[in-house]
Amino acid sequence: MPRLAGLLFILASAVFSMAAVSLAFAPTLGRLPEPQITTEQNLAIVVSLSNPVENLSMAELRRVFLGERSHWPNGRRITLVMMEPGQPERAVVLRDICQMNETDFNNHFLHGVFTGEVLVSPKTLATPVGVRKFVFNVPGAIGYLRVSDLDSSVKAVRVDERGPEDKGYKLHVPPRSSK
Amino acid sequence: MNGQNTRARRPPLAGPAPLLDRVLALASPYNSSLLLLIVFLVVIVVGLFVVRDLHSTNVEAQKMYAGSVLGLHRIGELQYQAQETRRSTFYALTTNDSNLQLEYADQSREADRRVNEGIGEYLRQVHMPHEIEVGKRLQRDWSDYLSVRNELLASILEGSTKEAVNLDLKGGVPSFERVRQDLEEIKRLYDQQASEQLANVAATSRRTIFRLIGVLGITLTLASTSVWAIQRSKMLGTIQLAKLQMEFVASVSHELRTPLTVISSAADNIADGLVGGKDQVKRYGLAIRNQCRQITELVNQILLFAATKDRKNRYILRPLQVSQIMDSVRDNTAELVEGAGFVVEQRIESGLPWVMGDLSALSQCLQNLIVNAVKYSGESRWIGIRAFLHDSGEQSGKEISISVEDRGMGIDRLEMPHIFEPFYRGAAVSAAQIHGTGLGLSLAKNIAEAMGGTLSVVSELAVGSVFTLRLPMVEKQELEMASVNSEGDPTIRK
Repeated sequence: MPRLAGLLFILASAVFSMAAVSLAFAPTLGRLPEPQITTEQNLAIVVSLSNPVENLSMAELRRVFLGERSHWPNGRRITLVMMEPGQPERAVVLRDICQMNETDFNNHFLHGVFTGEVLVSPKTLATPVGVRKFVFNVPGAIGYLRVSDLDSSVKAVRVDERGPEDKGYKLHVPPRSSK
Repeated sequence: MNGQNTRARRPPLAGPAPLLDRVLALASPYNSSLLLLIVFLVVIVVGLFVVRDLHSTNVEAQKMYAGSVLGLHRIGELQYQAQETRRSTFYALTTNDSNLQLEYADQSREADRRVNEGIGEYLRQVHMPHEIEVGKRLQRDWSDYLSVRNELLASILEGSTKEAVNLDLKGGVPSFERVRQDLEEIKRLYDQQASEQLANVAATSRRTIFRLIGVLGITLTLASTSVWAIQRSKMLGTIQLAKLQMEFVASVSHELRTPLTVISSAADNIADGLVGGKDQVKRYGLAIRNQCRQITELVNQILLFAATKDRKNRYILRPLQVSQIMDSVRDNTAELVEGAGFVVEQRIESGLPWVMGDLSALSQCLQNLIVNAVKYSGESRWIGIRAFLHDSGEQSGKEISISVEDRGMGIDRLEMPHIFEPFYRGAAVSAAQIHGTGLGLSLAKNIAEAMGGTLSVVSELAVGSVFTLRLPMVEKQELEMASVNSEGDPTIRK
């Protein structure tokens, strides 16, 4: 009799353990791994859908991102949207468009706002989704996003007559580091 | 010929409602079932109205809930979401953090999406032109407000707080006020609709209550009436039967007393030595014998009737020739008929087929008819007896008809349905003081039916009556079977 009880106890423990393991891993079992982008991606310059601008030269882009241009051709005030320091996208913009490092960029705006030379102060957002929503909500906003973060709520402008999907596009961003 | 069965008059019905009593008497065999059926039908009909009203109330209540209550709920939700759209936009003003401002913008847009859905839902639900017009106006005003709201959000996100505030004061406040007024109007419409539907539900409920009260009242009244009518009918039936039985007893007593008086007087005369001579004694003897026969006949009739009623009478059926029956009848009635000075005209078709029956019973049946003819012929002294083959009109083919005809007083048309009832005596017969028990025709009919036949009558007042006994003819196979078995037991007991 005690033997039978022991056997039953072992069986019950085994079943309980298996059930617990199944439950613990259940949420991850059905999930597919996220695709890891390992190669460089193009960085798109995005504006509101209502913005008539389709193409910007690299020089115009530089003026916009350095706050030296205040309005679009349709009269809308330009609002510059940047991601937080440390983001690879921001680094690409500073390096390839503004041709500055982080410190120079910050000093440029501090100095410009103080002297009145800079007409636009950039808005800083934490995520690409934030950038996208901001550009969607503000008709005069301009920002940047990886091609993989684009959707139909914003419009990517051509840079030097080349779109982000075109060959020879100049703005590239390294892949996101996987965490 | 006969008033015989018309002999006893049905006693007048007592009570304050003779018309009702007549109706009840007419419907007496069916009255309980009939009245209950009427009650049942009336209750069913009124019940159907009540069920229809209840259904209607239910539908009204559902419509009120689906239309007005849910509508008011939807409008409440719309008002809340519209306020939420505006509120979330203002929350964005309270911070400089662009990330937080975006969250508020998202909340505002989510609320505005719900408002748009709500307006679409409202437009799908409404059908009245005024409602549609208000809905479309709301849609337009909401769209105007959203344009202002989008500009407002853009200004806030750009960091132009002052511009945002100015924009709201200039465009946002008035356009949102229009939206608010539209929503209030829709709410008023729903309120009005709900009030109307509530009034409908209340009216239908009131009607249902009145109808229910009506149903209960009608049911109670009809049930009471039915019980009263049934009880009354039974009571009348019982009283009538009792009266008939009393009449019967009186009649029988009278029938017995007359011969008994004769016998008693004859016996007294003989005992007192008043009768002398052989001829006189013979005459007294004959008188006593005749009266005894009359008494015996009467008693036999009563016993036969009682036996028929108790189903104790057993008939012995066997194939009979019509001539056999007629001979028996003639033998048994010769004395009566000749004594009363009647001429009997008898016509019997030759070659008539056989019939199946009990000779004694059939003879009794026809005797009753002839006795009636004698009793109710009045001044006429003629009786016609016919036997012939008759087409029954049914699949069974032909049958034998034996009719007894007289040219007597005839039977009143109103009394015809009752003449075969036991103890029944017609009014004219009673008035003419023609003696009888009221059993003759009832017995004759019972016998005819026991033989598988029928007894019918055609009569006209002051012209005469023809009573016809119809008997099924014996099939050839039955006849053969009877003849084969004739050495054993050729009869059928019924």
